[in-house]
Amino acid sequence: MSFIEVTNVSKRFRINKRAGGIPGMIANMFVPKYEYKQAVDGISFSIEEGEMIGFIGPNGAGKSTTIKMLSGILCPDSGSIKVGGYTPYKDRKKYVGNIGVVFGQKSQLQWDLPVIDSFELLKAIYRIPEELYQKNLNRFTEMLQMESFLYQPVRQLSLGQRMRADIVAALLHSPKIVFFDEPTIGVDVVGKETIRQFIRELNETDNITMIFTTHDMQDIEKVCDRLIIIDKGSKVYDGELSGIREKFGTTRQLDVEFTQECEIEPVENVQVIPLDNRKKRFVFENRDVKIDELMNELLTKYSIRDINISEPEIESLIRKIYNGEVS
Amino acid sequence: MKLTPYLAFAKKSFLNRSAYRFNHFMGILNTLVRIFIFWCIYRALYGERNEVDGITMAMVTTNFVLSIGMDALFSINDYYLPNRIGNGSIATELLLPISFKGRMLFENLGNTLFQLIFHFAPALVVCVVTVGVLPPVSFGCFLLFIISAVLGYGVLWNLSFLLQTFSFWLLNMWSLMTIKNVFLNVLSGSMIPLWFMPDWMAPVMNLLPFSSIYFTPVQIYLGQLSAKEIGTKFLVQMLWIGVLYLCGNVFWKKGKKKLVVQGG
Repeated sequence: MSFIEVTNVSKRFRINKRAGGIPGMIANMFVPKYEYKQAVDGISFSIEEGEMIGFIGPNGAGKSTTIKMLSGILCPDSGSIKVGGYTPYKDRKKYVGNIGVVFGQKSQLQWDLPVIDSFELLKAIYRIPEELYQKNLNRFTEMLQMESFLYQPVRQLSLGQRMRADIVAALLHSPKIVFFDEPTIGVDVVGKETIRQFIRELNETDNITMIFTTHDMQDIEKVCDRLIIIDKGSKVYDGELSGIREKFGTTRQLDVEFTQECEIEPVENVQVIPLDNRKKRFVFENRDVKIDELMNELLTKYSIRDINISEPEIESLIRKIYNGEVS
Repeated sequence: MKLTPYLAFAKKSFLNRSAYRFNHFMGILNTLVRIFIFWCIYRALYGERNEVDGITMAMVTTNFVLSIGMDALFSINDYYLPNRIGNGSIATELLLPISFKGRMLFENLGNTLFQLIFHFAPALVVCVVTVGVLPPVSFGCFLLFIISAVLGYGVLWNLSFLLQTFSFWLLNMWSLMTIKNVFLNVLSGSMIPLWFMPDWMAPVMNLLPFSSIYFTPVQIYLGQLSAKEIGTKFLVQMLWIGVLYLCGNVFWKKGKKKLVVQGG
């Protein structure tokens, strides 16, 4: 059995739906109308210990709901969740000692107190032994370069500093699983890189299982090994990052620069887009056209200065998946 | 239940309080102004008389100082849970391996300790010097007063907690809390000493928990109750704590189950 086992989990919410305006408000007071929204619809997956998972999907796809069920805050309507032998929503108090959660948009630090006081509080809450606490604190503050603001009240920190402090706060008790919910949101380029490197390093050295939700594809490309994509409450992709290209990235494009202006004879199944006088772009499906044959044909027929083959970027593929253009 | 993490919460909220000093001084001023206004009103009502229905002006003053003082001392945050449900931060807090209720209680206790030292004590000194406060009738009564005040705190805390759990279902708690506070002010004796309540109100007051909160301790302090009556009052206070605690627990468990975290 895997470390995290999610089987056929569903969750729906009841939403109060009201008509607009004053009549709608009054009607709603006496006869409230509800509608149901299926946030998660029969999702199953399993995760091994030490894996680094990117968990993505468009807004409203059910990511947060799934993460909340995994962390034991929400109780699924049906299906079962097992994490390291615990059922999160049932054994909440015992279970949560083994996990750490970083919500990019919600801080768990004490707003008015220096960062170090929040850490001391967490030490007491999780009953972290003094030795482990000191070891983790020194190690993490050094890795994330936090010495300069450890004694400042949280409300005076910049967003990047606060986020780093929040990440350390989630890791002090050496959890086995860490959930990152958009940990780089609103952080500048350098800060993002520091955070990514730190997460990557920690995953490799400490064998911590990490689940990462984000909208930043750079995060995913630089940090995660495996990707789970969900949309409208169901899983649409589960596999390696590179597998996405194989599965969905079937279009190729070939940018060709000719030595002189020329007319291009139409080629079967290839779309030709003129870029400027001497440059043309050839777009085609991998399965219809063999790239070597096409190049051969071009090279023999025309005089060519430069050729550039490009694969679609992960980001544009994922955009296509979200838009429902590929299946 | 090990106490260390909870004491850490008490310490945290104690420390938190020192962050906003101006706010704190205005709080003391607020308490003093409240006491002073009531003192002025009753000074005017008493006029030349020394006592009304056997109640002296000094007793009335003592009642106000103690019950308004206790009100400031207990300072329960009625929106502790509603705020956390409203902005979704309850999510992160339920992720800690501790009891949420225990944490809530101890954060409040830390706050109360702060209030005792830096709010109640200075305000009491000012009141003793200016409007005058009767001393407790005996040392024994003073001890019983403290026990009764602690029980009163228990009643108020559980009452507030019970109402706060409704925020799992209601998104706006302001109206409910305001109604509670009106009842609390009128029926607990912190606005009108309960000696002056009309007789027909007595059964209503006996059926509601409010008089157990401030008025019972005040009566004990002033030595108005016999040993037997004190025993009964203690039982009533404990009964209220039990009833409110059980109801609060039922709603808390149900609410947690249906928790829909807002804004996330």
